[in-house]
Formats: sequence, structure tokens, C-alpha cells
Amino acid sequence: MTPTVSASGLSLHFGRTRALDDVSLRLSPGVTGLLGPNGAGKTTLLRVLATAVPADRGAFTVLGHDPATSRGRQEARRRLGYLPQAPGFHPDFSAFEFVDYVAILKELTDRTARHREVRRVLDEVGLGDVRGKRLKKLSGGMRQRVALAAALVGDPEFVVLDEPTVGLDPEQRMRFRELIAHAGEGRTVLLSTHQTEDVAMLCHRVVVLADGTVRFDGTPAELTARAAGRVWSSTERETGAKAGWRTGTGSFRNVGDPPAGAELLAPTLEDGYLLTLDGAGAEVTA
Amino acid sequence: MPVTGATAGGVPVAELVRAVARTVPWRALAAGGGLGLLIAAVPRLTGGDAGGWPALTALRAGALAFALGAAFWLDDPARHTTAVVPARRALRHGLRLALLAPVAALWWTAALLLVPRPLRPPAAGVTVEAATALALALTGAAFAVHRREAARPGQAVAGFLLVTAVLAPLLCPEDWALFVTPEDESWAVAHDRWTVLLGALLLAGALCLTEPARRYGRRGLRSPSGTSGPSRG
Repeated sequence: MTPTVSASGLSLHFGRTRALDDVSLRLSPGVTGLLGPNGAGKTTLLRVLATAVPADRGAFTVLGHDPATSRGRQEARRRLGYLPQAPGFHPDFSAFEFVDYVAILKELTDRTARHREVRRVLDEVGLGDVRGKRLKKLSGGMRQRVALAAALVGDPEFVVLDEPTVGLDPEQRMRFRELIAHAGEGRTVLLSTHQTEDVAMLCHRVVVLADGTVRFDGTPAELTARAAGRVWSSTERETGAKAGWRTGTGSFRNVGDPPAGAELLAPTLEDGYLLTLDGAGAEVTA
Repeated sequence: MPVTGATAGGVPVAELVRAVARTVPWRALAAGGGLGLLIAAVPRLTGGDAGGWPALTALRAGALAFALGAAFWLDDPARHTTAVVPARRALRHGLRLALLAPVAALWWTAALLLVPRPLRPPAAGVTVEAATALALALTGAAFAVHRREAARPGQAVAGFLLVTAVLAPLLCPEDWALFVTPEDESWAVAHDRWTVLLGALLLAGALCLTEPARRYGRRGLRSPSGTSGPSRG
């Protein structure tokens, strides 16, 4: 199957800062999670793949189009949706008007069909009842859903979501998970997040980025498996652990190289992520 | 997807014009324009006894005030949300400029008419000056968007414009004098320079309307948490 996105050797520098270094990956339908600490290059990678900013070096195609050319970039943009990290709005627009404005920019020419499509995506994100309300009167979570609706309008085949759940309360985050999972049905969704639970629950694949390089590329189960045999419980703080914290039961949960005879615990995706960032076995597995 | 019917240049322009007209910062332009008219009207309000030079200065200051308001014209809080749409930036900015052009023409006509006829400087010359100030504001904003993806470049551009307006008369070499009076014999030559400047700014502005397909130079894009992302300016 032809991948939705195929990138090889992408590099990007901002002054002396290396934001991306020789990043290669292929994305296919389903939700792919992009994990990494602050400053890892996640937003940069998303912006490059969404054709918002060109790379210094490397090549990639989106849905078979080369964004390095004006025509290729435009063709790619006809089929992708993008939710930036800090979406901005025209506050005097209603939710409907704003998504309709984006739909016009996405070349949805037929007015009746476009309005039907705008209503559909607003219903999809659960804002059908408030579509006439001014954006300045909506809550932060609702505005985030308007931005998601704007990304989804026109039914794009490739959707790029940059930390869509940041700043949302747990209920809104759950709602967003539903929406992203739904969006990932039949589409390619690239989701940048700090929430390992989001990745564990939503993604068929996860990419870990650190210092602008890909540290891991595989399934969530494979990332979790990296911590197998390396998570243990203890009654005292273990100085040799890479990370350790007291749990609600009073015992310590440690991640790293366990001492002999330690009581091993079942690893989580977060454990695998922590160990990957720590540099242990930092090679790309897939 | 079937609803798009998208073809090259398939943006519904009439509807886009209506939407864009709601996104442009009319208030900033109205504030700059209102202040500009007030300044331009000073010679008339004061009886025009002071002569031609204060009237010329008032007209220049009025044009600067309008240009300061126009510096916000490309501000778009939704720029990053609409960063990757097929409608080209040149089209979107072009529409904004097309909306501004008649307003600017009307405003300038009103400003000129506010100056009493005997005090009014040669219209062609001061019009080139005013157009250059406006072009500097808009090109500055277009440059900020082109290079830094700034969502709201207006404030920084207005500051730059103000500093330039203050420093230019002081720092311009005598051979390159721009701010001359109609009585000065170099009025015509100075306005040849203004015309060249205007042409250069329009060319630079036109180049800034495009989106770069490849990176060049160094851009200091930084996100709140990382190394990337658009500037929040």
C-alpha cells in the first residue's frame, strides 16, 4: 500500500538550534502518535509534514505530492487538515462562520454542499447546538473543537493534530479522544501529544522524537515491551533507578535496571517511553 | 471528497471577499485614519495663518497616522489555523489589499481637501509620499508574515514605521533629501526618489505575498514550549 506520507532525511535548523535531524518515516492510515519532551522537534516535524514550513534538507511526499513545489504543496493541502498547537480565531465569527470560512479557503465551492459539510463536522465534534454562538463566548475546550472541525472540514485524508488535548479538563480530553479515534477511521492522523495515555488508547503506531531525531518507531506494545523486566516495586527509594516515585500504596515504583530479586511490575507505555528517552536502546526498531 | 469540486484556483472568490472583509482590522484603520484626518485638518482649524510648511507637515503626519493604522491590515489571529489551505496566500493578501485600496484613496482625497486650497502642496508629490508611507507599512507587514509567519505583525510594523518616520528626515544625507518643501528647487528630484522608493517597496511587497517553497536564511521560529512553531507576534 502506498503510504500517505513518506519522508526521508528531513532536517531543519533554526539558527544554531537543530530542530530536526535526518528524520525518516512513513505514515499510513490510522492514528500515529508522536511523543517527545518539550523542544524535541514535534511541532517542527508536524509543521513540515503539514506543508506549513519547508525543511532545510530531505524529501517527502504527502499523498503522492511533493510539497517542495508550489503545485505539489497546493495539491497536498487540498487533502490535508491541520490543527496547530495554539489555534487562533476571529472572535466575532460564530463557530459555523469560522468553519465555513476555512471551508471556503479549502475550495469547497458549492455553497449548499459546503454548508452541509460545515454542519456535519460541527455535529461530529459535538458543537451542532452552539454553531451560531460567537467564538469569543465559547469555552477553551469548545474553541479547540471548532479548530478540530476546521481541520476536518472537507474530509481530508491526512490530518495533523498538534497537542490537541493540552489545557483540556479530563472530560473534554476523553471527548477529544473519541473524536480523534473517529477521525482516524479510514484516515491518516498524526497526533503530537505529551499524554502517553492518549497514545496507548488511540494509536496503532508511535514515534518518539528527541533532540530532533527519531528514537523509536513502532507499535505502542513494542514501546511498552522495552520496559519489560525493568520496572519494579520497592519499599525504599532506589537510588539506582532512572526514575522512581512513591505510589498511592506507599511503595515505590522504579524504572531502570532492577537489583537482583526485585519485585517486577508490569510495564506501561510511559515506562517504555521514559527508558527510550533515557537513551537505553535508543535505536529505531521499525 | 466530492463536495469540494476543487480545481486549481477553485476558491469561491465572492464569498471569500465577504469573509475576508470581516477578518480585517477595520478598527485600527479607522483609528489611524481618524487621527490622520484630524491632523490634516489642523491648518484649517487654526485658520491657516502659519503658511504652507505647517500644512505640508500636517498632511505628511496625517498620512503617517493612516499608514500606522494600515500596518495592522495583515493582522490575522487565525493565520496559523488557516496556515495550510489550498487558497494561496497571495490571493488572501491580495483581497485584503483590494479592500484597502478604495478606502485609502477616499481617505487621501478627504485629507487633501481638508487642507485649504492656498496652503495645499502639489497633490502629485504628496500623494507619492503618502503612498510610500502606506507601502512601507504594508510591505513591512507582508515581510513579517513571509519570514516569520507572524499572526499579528501590526504592532511591530507600526513601531518600525514610526521610528523610520522620525529618523529618516534626520539621517537622510543632504544629497538624498526626501522631506523638502514645494518651494525648494529639489522638490521634483526628491519626488523622483520617492517614486523609486515606492516602486522598490511595491516590488518587495509583491515578492513577500508568496509562500516560500524552500527555506532560506535563518528564521527564529519558536513555539512556547519548543524550538519550532510560528512566532506569536
